[in-house]
Amino acid sequence: MATERATSRLSDSDLVHRCRDGSPEAWNELVERFSRYVYAICGRGFGLAAEDAEDAFQEVFTRVYSRLDTLRDDAAIRPWIAQLTRRVCLDRIAASGNEQPLDDITDERLERTTEELDDAFTIREALADLGEPCHELLDRFFARDESYRTISEQLDLPSGTIASRISRCLGKLRSELEGRNPAEGASGGKR
Amino acid sequence: MVGQAALEEAPQLGTSIQTSYTCVAVADDYLELKLSEFLERSASEPTPGAGSAAAVAIALAASLVVKVARVSRDSWNDAAGVAAQAIELGSRCPTLARDDADAWQDALASLASPHGVDGADTELRRVLDRAADLPLAIAETGADVAGLALLTAERGAPSLRGEAVAAAVLAHAGVRIAAHLVVINLVTQAGDERSARAGRAEQAAGSAAAGALEGER
Repeated sequence: MATERATSRLSDSDLVHRCRDGSPEAWNELVERFSRYVYAICGRGFGLAAEDAEDAFQEVFTRVYSRLDTLRDDAAIRPWIAQLTRRVCLDRIAASGNEQPLDDITDERLERTTEELDDAFTIREALADLGEPCHELLDRFFARDESYRTISEQLDLPSGTIASRISRCLGKLRSELEGRNPAEGASGGKR
Repeated sequence: MVGQAALEEAPQLGTSIQTSYTCVAVADDYLELKLSEFLERSASEPTPGAGSAAAVAIALAASLVVKVARVSRDSWNDAAGVAAQAIELGSRCPTLARDDADAWQDALASLASPHGVDGADTELRRVLDRAADLPLAIAETGADVAGLALLTAERGAPSLRGEAVAAAVLAHAGVRIAAHLVVINLVTQAGDERSARAGRAEQAAGSAAAGALEGER
């Protein structure tokens, strides 16, 4: 759908703006854009089981929906969602009466996990913005573990040029990342 | 700036790209072993066997490529990208080594069970199929490492050319082993496309190793 395509290319800030305007497509995109991120914090950061992570996921986006107006800096939606997710996960663990997982969750581990996820998320966005054929080349090689031969056959490119093309695309990805200046910290919300 | 750490070292970009999709860390038993333990297990237990040994050889070759590429950054524009790719290819190897060992154990168990009973032959076919898929993946990974090794031997720092040549030869050895395993696993299935693919991988790795050695002379 044209509307979906248009929405998917919005910046985080513009997406939040459209959510505030009540666009259902924008809300769908917001959930889609951050769903992996929320699941990853629940699973990798807090070690929640799949069922608990699903419940936490629902709770996080319910809070996002009801509290979006409290977000001061629209560009800081990601750290704000991370903060909400951490709070929801801690609430769920405390409510379960099983405090054992909390003993295993150190601030350092949470910080490290969030940093890794932020980096991964930023790179995923940058990959999407690279355009073709770079997005496809890097996706096939690094994410799908395809061989040079398979890539060359699938994309109809000379086999001997794949490694060089990937190197050039990594250079473009580097430039794309260097050109970004995303918001830092989780201070976007008023609470 | 977010992502700055990844920018410091292009090779990390590859890992980050993968993480950005999977967000899951793969546990690799063989990565946890000391080299002496791995060697002892290779000598005394059914697994790791030849397929795993091939994967480890290819991982070593990839490491050598990374070393040469890293040293060559000042004189070779693609060096960082090549290092990133070698890291990615090398990182596939421990999982392939472990999975190949699992598949080989399954194949041994299945071959030892009585055939002809309900489902046993179908199960044997499934197990042998997997036992062929994994060496093929190892062979194709090795062919790519050999190609990078040749590139590195040609464009990398001359002072470390010997390392790049060693990488090409080592990768070729791993590919030959893995390709052979594909063929003998498929001995009863003439015309299997995997045999042809394994042959192409072996040919590509052989050409890369020969090219690297030729340039040394």
